[in-house]
Amino acid sequence: MIKIFLDEKPLEVNEGTTVLKAAEEAGIDIPHLCYHPAFLPEGSCRMCLVEIEGLPELELACSTQVREGMKISTKSEKVIEARKGVLEFLLAEHPLDCPICDKAGECELQNYYEEYGLFDSQFKETKEKRQKKVEIGKNLILDLERCILCTRCVRFLREVTKTQDLGVFNRGLHSEINTYDGVPVDNNYSGNLAEICPVGAITDSDFRFKTRSWFLKQGESICPLCSRGCNTIIESHKGFTHFQVPKRVYRIKSRENNDINGYWICDFGRYGYSYLDDKRLDRIIVNNGKEALTWEKAIAFLAEKIKRLHYVKKTSRLVVVLNTWLSNEELFLLKKIFKNDLSVEKIYFIDPADGEDDDFLLTSERSPNRRGAQEIGFDLKPLDREALMEKADLLLIFGQFISDRFNLTEIKAALENIETKIYFATHSDELNSLVDIVLPTTLIPEKEGSLTNVDGIVQKFLPVLEGPGECRPEWKVLVDLGKELGINFNYYKQFNSPEVVLKEMSKEIPFFEKKNE
Amino acid sequence: MEEKVLTQHFGLENFYNIDVYLKKGGYQAVRKALIDMNPEKILEEVKAANLRGRGGAGFPAGVKWGFVPEVDKPKYLCVNADEGEPGTFKDRYIMSHNPHMLLEGIIITSFCVGIHTAFIYIRGEYEAIAVRLEQAISEAYKNGFLGKNILEKGFDLDVFVHRGAGAYICGEETGLLESLEGKRGHPRLKPPFPASVGLFQCPTVINNVETISNIPFIILKGAKWFCEKGLPKDGGTRIFGVSGMVKKPGIYELPLGTNLKDIIYKYAGGMAKDKKLKAVIPGGMSAPILTADEIDIKMDFDSLVNAGSMLGSAAIVIIDMDTSILDVLKIVTKFYSHESCGQCTPCRVGSSWINKIVRRIVEGKGKKEDIDNIVRLASNIQGNTLCPLGDAAAMPILSITKKFRKEIESHVTN
Repeated sequence: MIKIFLDEKPLEVNEGTTVLKAAEEAGIDIPHLCYHPAFLPEGSCRMCLVEIEGLPELELACSTQVREGMKISTKSEKVIEARKGVLEFLLAEHPLDCPICDKAGECELQNYYEEYGLFDSQFKETKEKRQKKVEIGKNLILDLERCILCTRCVRFLREVTKTQDLGVFNRGLHSEINTYDGVPVDNNYSGNLAEICPVGAITDSDFRFKTRSWFLKQGESICPLCSRGCNTIIESHKGFTHFQVPKRVYRIKSRENNDINGYWICDFGRYGYSYLDDKRLDRIIVNNGKEALTWEKAIAFLAEKIKRLHYVKKTSRLVVVLNTWLSNEELFLLKKIFKNDLSVEKIYFIDPADGEDDDFLLTSERSPNRRGAQEIGFDLKPLDREALMEKADLLLIFGQFISDRFNLTEIKAALENIETKIYFATHSDELNSLVDIVLPTTLIPEKEGSLTNVDGIVQKFLPVLEGPGECRPEWKVLVDLGKELGINFNYYKQFNSPEVVLKEMSKEIPFFEKKNE
Repeated sequence: MEEKVLTQHFGLENFYNIDVYLKKGGYQAVRKALIDMNPEKILEEVKAANLRGRGGAGFPAGVKWGFVPEVDKPKYLCVNADEGEPGTFKDRYIMSHNPHMLLEGIIITSFCVGIHTAFIYIRGEYEAIAVRLEQAISEAYKNGFLGKNILEKGFDLDVFVHRGAGAYICGEETGLLESLEGKRGHPRLKPPFPASVGLFQCPTVINNVETISNIPFIILKGAKWFCEKGLPKDGGTRIFGVSGMVKKPGIYELPLGTNLKDIIYKYAGGMAKDKKLKAVIPGGMSAPILTADEIDIKMDFDSLVNAGSMLGSAAIVIIDMDTSILDVLKIVTKFYSHESCGQCTPCRVGSSWINKIVRRIVEGKGKKEDIDNIVRLASNIQGNTLCPLGDAAAMPILSITKKFRKEIESHVTN
């Protein structure tokens, strides 16, 4: 550790760190545009100039390493003037079309002008005319007039994806970012370009003109679309008092986690969010003309069915179908109830089919918690055709994936062999009319819990979206079921939150003990 | 008195040919350096000679070489022959008249620093000179001055000529390195400096053609002799390139510290058509301009810095009274806006913004406040850019608008 003075405030900072990072840690904002923590300092935007005692010229905060006793000013007159000067240059040729720019509200240039600029324009000349709508790749629209040439996009494609799809062409004021001979950006990480563009130069056609950034609420979550467990931000819209919006979720962004995904997420995770809103199940369905049920009555009904089988020692007539989109806590409760308490043997798993991994973040497993299920003690017996066709008295299905993996005729034939079928579902699908009761449950962003990623990292998540209608988180349903069954009432009674479940898991399973420290 | 050292045999028939060069005592410096001296002794001599860089910045060559660390990587020498500074044309004379003198300098420098690969980065427009250099290099190989085991001293050296593609910025040393690596000529952030992290991330010495060409004379005649040719802290002669409105434009090799007045009126024959002198740009276009009243000045690094200008590449541009200073400003701003690489904001936008304003003034649509705006913008460029090109653009603009404000004001309305 060495001592520096930042705006006269003494600070202990790590040797070898930069002025910008030291300031960030001390909560002092130094504006920057070309600098991105994922890349080496570029030093081209010149926004982060600071004054260092003893040096004749202003220095870059992004690339200057701290030295013992260094006295840095981020607020001196010279710094403020230089910042304004750089902002003036950036805005001189910038189109100032913020009212129709998709980035408005989250534009770093706009924010810096508000914070450090607020001058009148002295630019009386004609601005350069450039292409406004270049399609540079899947979902990516490039506006060359708005581009400030920070080259974050160029460096991302050079250093992260190593595909080098974008370059800088021409010189001086005519410098432009573009593709090489029109060959589009085509990789599974291109969506990050719109996210790291500090201005509205690269916008995402999946998002653009759908809403305004300031209407969106940010919620921290974990991507469930593969087993990497990338950290994300889910941006959702609540609608207006007199105006409904067509969906809740408008955008998924990456959230920094250097142990897992760095600053990035893949396009598969970024754009695959429509399942959060499309065809969601929001009420309990009871088929065959029976009377409507509340959750309490439904759980009592289910418990009664199970208890009857348990009493006559016929839990072999009970089949449970699970998936690894369930959280650690839910899988733990399922194991306690069905394996430990009821000794059910026919527990099968069905997940979305595996896909290709991409040698970077995307794994071949298309569910977030397979490792968790293994560590909890499931052998992950797959629900194959044979298992599906087994005769049974009671079938419990968790999750949506049966209808993805089997065709309707097969499912119909299978279900005819079973007396009572209860389906815990998040979406409406063909199975809804084929079972006796459909109970609406939640998706990851709508509940609390934890997931174990492919490398065994346990990550907690909290609800960031409200579940639709009557839906209930599975962990809660399972705790209630455990209590209702009465075999171990006091054990399930303690679980008033997933956190308590995880604590209990850490006591019982050494793997989680380590992870929950 | 014109002191001919580097230029002494210029004009001699076929002097670029190695046989003629050898007959005139060529490659004696290489023999002396490799046979009678060792790298430490050479470095000591070059340091003692106070040879300051002839490219423009005036950094002492010996000190620069001393920065090269001993690491487990190859080391490179890059000779900067980009000669892009407007008004500068000395290096082309050296390379076309006396390429072997440059090669001698390259061999000695490489031997001193422990370099086995040297590049001559030459501006693309110097096509014929590049061909001549390549001929000279091939002659040197044939005569055993290049290649393996030079003079049987176990020292290997290869020299390559690399032609630029026409960008001023590639004369900036790190822009040159990027270009030489096959990338866009975008200057690098410093530190690290090229001496430690240069070409292909290896330690690299970058020196101007004229700087390297002085080395053989320092070796042959000694640091003491060399210092006496110039000033105590500024050894050697300097090749001044005089252009513009003088009777005899051309190169003049003179001791450092020669009076500018003498250069114009004595050596260059005075003003063309005996017109009145208006202004002098003393060190290439980026050097702040001097008025006719300021020409009684010694042409050396320190005297010019004290006068608020710089010696730069020692390219002297003479401007007479018939020339509109607004035209000068237009040319200067057009050049820098055209040659800005576009990497960093102040230079990219600022230089072109100023050029747009100047063009408007030339069209008669300027206002007094536009001049203030030019000054303000140039001040916002100066000191705030990634490489020295921003300063190079701002300095002449600031000095012209300051020293000739009245004349510019006569072209604008209130």
